[in-house]
Amino acid sequence: MKTKGFAAPYAVWMILFTIAPILLVVIYALTDRTGRFTLENFRLFLDPIYFSVLLRSIGMALLCTLLCLLIGYPAAYFLADRHVDPRGMLIVFFIIPMWMNFLLRTYAWLTLLESGGLVATAVNWVLRLFGANEEVRLLYSYQAVLMGMIYNYLPFMVLPLYTVLTRMDASVEEAAEDLGAGRAQVFWRVKLPLSLPGVFSGITMVFMPAVTTFVISRLLGGSQFRLYGDLIEQQFLFTGDWNFGSAMSLVMMVLLLISMGLMNRFGDREGGGVL
Amino acid sequence: MSIVEQEHLIDLEDLSMVYDGGTEALKHLNLYIRRKEFVTLLGPSGCGKTTTLRLIAGFETPSSGRVIFEGRDITALPPYKRRVNTVFQRYALFPHLNVYENVAFGLRLKKAPEREVRAVVAEMLEMVGLQGFEKRTVDKLSGGQQQRVAIARALANRPEVLLLDEPLGALDLKLRKEMQLELKRMQQHLGITFLYVTHDQEEALSMSDTIVVMKDGLVQQIGTPTDVYNEPKNAFVADFIGESNILPGLMLCDELVRFDGADFPCVDRGFGENRPVDVVVRPEDIKLVPPEQGMLRGVVQTVVFKGVHYEMTIRTGGFTWLVHSTLCEPVGAQVGLSIVPFDIHIMRKEEA
Repeated sequence: MKTKGFAAPYAVWMILFTIAPILLVVIYALTDRTGRFTLENFRLFLDPIYFSVLLRSIGMALLCTLLCLLIGYPAAYFLADRHVDPRGMLIVFFIIPMWMNFLLRTYAWLTLLESGGLVATAVNWVLRLFGANEEVRLLYSYQAVLMGMIYNYLPFMVLPLYTVLTRMDASVEEAAEDLGAGRAQVFWRVKLPLSLPGVFSGITMVFMPAVTTFVISRLLGGSQFRLYGDLIEQQFLFTGDWNFGSAMSLVMMVLLLISMGLMNRFGDREGGGVL
Repeated sequence: MSIVEQEHLIDLEDLSMVYDGGTEALKHLNLYIRRKEFVTLLGPSGCGKTTTLRLIAGFETPSSGRVIFEGRDITALPPYKRRVNTVFQRYALFPHLNVYENVAFGLRLKKAPEREVRAVVAEMLEMVGLQGFEKRTVDKLSGGQQQRVAIARALANRPEVLLLDEPLGALDLKLRKEMQLELKRMQQHLGITFLYVTHDQEEALSMSDTIVVMKDGLVQQIGTPTDVYNEPKNAFVADFIGESNILPGLMLCDELVRFDGADFPCVDRGFGENRPVDVVVRPEDIKLVPPEQGMLRGVVQTVVFKGVHYEMTIRTGGFTWLVHSTLCEPVGAQVGLSIVPFDIHIMRKEEA
């Protein structure tokens, strides 16, 4: 059966909304306002003001990914346990927040963290019990941005891990136990190595959106904790320098491609990456 | 000729297993396994054979009853502390390790010195005929090779008992036959106890010292392959082990039974007089004779050539007999059937 024709709508879609925009970005990045070829946009980017934002974005994304892994792995491990009883319900609870737009969720955090908000009040009440006099401001801090990122990206870590852990052949674990491995050894010698494709996939799926984060950082971090994504947004929407914005986007794209390539190489070595 | 020792290695005492859903997988099982014995648990799926194996391995805890190993109660002992190892149905090899590391897994856990690991792995791979495969990844191996790795991996731990859960089920017929012989050879060579689970009666007959026939969580019969084949205790066993003709009969008195409209001398006694019974006759125990000499007369319905023999169905007045014979009678031929007393097996009617 010929199915080639079935791909036509997608091909049109891809050309219009993926390939053409990328080409435009490349063209804009390599030209100046008058349309002449130039590398000036990239030279400008090396200015410490901009470059440091890129480094901060990468640093924050790495930290966010690490924390998501540390929180997400045990969570996925727990959810994947056959003996956990209302497993379906717990998973639904986990997924429900994902059905809402991330902007809504981030605005919710804004009200929770702002002075007088539920979380802020609670934290300060606890701190006062320990003798603190000054009120601690939660919103517009590095921690608030990180918190918002983790909250938004954690499911992308948990889901691939959950998939890989539930698909794992239970008899392989039994075989390890049978051969003399206690619970801890089963984990370190069998479960963890076999779940690595899920780990790499989770890392990729969290790191990618985390490093291009914007809005979250603006809402929860104020103006002090601007990230690379905010910078690009600013170039396009406020400064109007599309050429510089495109150059920064291109740098980010290359960076993402490199990190994706790295992850896939790790994933392959461990028996097939998910992405 | 048997090398089986008399001492009990494993005693299963009144083992019952009810799963969470309420399924009764095992009902009051009592069974002992002797040192160096090759025991096969035989039965259809859902008969409790795999559950029994998993209880001995320690993957399940019985709802009631005890597992005794060398006189010690190990019912609550976790799998990693038991001196038994398992060959799993679908091999359950570690996909992230190569052949060498799969076989070495148990030794590494015991922190065996590298020299010993190397020696044992080499010995095991030689025994299963996989020298030179050390560096291969396991998922690149064929089913038969994976099975050999699984066997080598389990035996490298030098278990007292090797538990095998339908290990040959996924292999093709020729390979299965080869592996049957090899497993038997390994068992005798190593002098360890094998507990083998299968639904394949032929496999059970050709390898075992003792066969335990199970159905619905209950033991139907325990005996040597010859016993179980020749003297099935009930219709289920007779039907499950090999092909047989099972038909209702009436025990007229000691050594005389009536079935299919004729009276037959037999060798069974003690059933009482005029008692309804089940009669079992193996297809190869029925002789074809000229019609006038037959104890029964019938017409040949079908003939299938099976290589060594012809498989025929023969319709008499009240029953269609399955007969194996080296003689071929054409379809539609009138034949006589003759059965000697020794080949007629009488079984008590099963309570419904």
